[in-house]
Amino acid sequence: MNCQELENIARDVAQDELMDVALREAALSHADSCAYCAMRLRDERALTHGLRRLALAAKSAEAPARVETLLLAAFREQRSDVAAPVSVSALVANRRWLYVGVGIAAAIVIVVLIALIASRPNREPAPPQEAKDQAPPSPAPEPQPERRPLAGLPPDRGRQPIRRANSSARSGHRVVDNGQSGRDIEIATDFFPLMNRESLAEMDSGQVVRVELPRSALMSFGLPMNMERADERIKADVVVGNDGLARAIRFVR
Amino acid sequence: MTQPAIPSDLDLLRLVMAGDEDAFTQLYRRRQAGVYRFALQMSGSESLAEDVTQEVFIVLIREAVRYDPNRGSVAAYLYGIARNHVLRRLEQDRPFVRLAESDDETDANASSGTIAGDNPLEELTRNEMIDALRNSILALPAHYREVVVLCDLHEMSYIDAAKVVGCAVGTVRSRLHRARALLIEKMRAGRDRGQAADEVKRLRCFA
Repeated sequence: MNCQELENIARDVAQDELMDVALREAALSHADSCAYCAMRLRDERALTHGLRRLALAAKSAEAPARVETLLLAAFREQRSDVAAPVSVSALVANRRWLYVGVGIAAAIVIVVLIALIASRPNREPAPPQEAKDQAPPSPAPEPQPERRPLAGLPPDRGRQPIRRANSSARSGHRVVDNGQSGRDIEIATDFFPLMNRESLAEMDSGQVVRVELPRSALMSFGLPMNMERADERIKADVVVGNDGLARAIRFVR
Repeated sequence: MTQPAIPSDLDLLRLVMAGDEDAFTQLYRRRQAGVYRFALQMSGSESLAEDVTQEVFIVLIREAVRYDPNRGSVAAYLYGIARNHVLRRLEQDRPFVRLAESDDETDANASSGTIAGDNPLEELTRNEMIDALRNSILALPAHYREVVVLCDLHEMSYIDAAKVVGCAVGTVRSRLHRARALLIEKMRAGRDRGQAADEVKRLRCFA
């Protein structure tokens, strides 16, 4: 043992506290061979002794009796004033339960909100499923959301939920039936991704929003545009994820 | 024959919250002396200790629901309240109470009443040295003083003291180590001063 190690345990040795016998003997042995540590240990013992005497001297000290009298009066007053609240307070004596209760209530509220949000699209009548892919340039089967009729819906049905948009956008046009009459048949492009494919694949669900854009937007996606109609607007369906980010777009005519 | 079980502090506290006056009296009589002594040893003032004891149990009457058993014992909770009140009062009364600020003052306090001798540290058993030690403790900074009072005078464990003070156990250990070193330094200074004074007296006597 060196001086620093003895310094760390000097109080424990001086107070004769329970400690490892070997450690204690090593400390005492070091103190026998080191004058500084011997003095250090002697000082610690003297201080410990003095502190014990001091504690013993104050052993009988206590608050005057009038304090108890005053406190009992205060207790009776408090009990008479707020008897009911005290008993109620006892139920929440452990604040942990209060926190747990608040947490459960918050969880219930969140679950209810999620359920309400999830049930909103289900209340809408299911869109007709007879939309068929009739466009010759796109023989491959399209993902479910893209097969849904998107145009000609009433204003309150302009937003429709979709499921994972896992198809890559392809060029070409498709005929989309709105389910009302042949007169309302629309021709739509495939979806053009607005983000990278990874972000598109990570989207679990979202909505298709019908918007109107300047025709010049066609050029942004490499589509031809009739310059004579450049000042007109064109309809487009934008796939919006639940995070609010637009993921893909297609143009509708 | 089985003796009636002694209710724990927590049992009594629950009864107090339910409005049981006997439980309050029992809890008060069990814990008031410790709280009073802590305040007295922290401040050196009986009137302040009395006020603090009263305030601690007033808080217990009014805000017992704030006690959390997971954060420590009822005793530690009461000591914690007492500590806060003592520190607040000492801060408020600082302009009006003479506290030893400089080393010279503290040394003077520590040495006042000491008896000159070859090794005054070994004479701490004498009442005069007890007074000197008391003054030395009162002259310590509050964060050192409180750990000495809790751990050395009230024999509280490091863990309980840490809960009272609201710091880590290691912090209590290091503060206590430093506080004891300061006390020993003061005692040594008192011894040296006593020896010097003794030499002067002896010389004067020869003269």
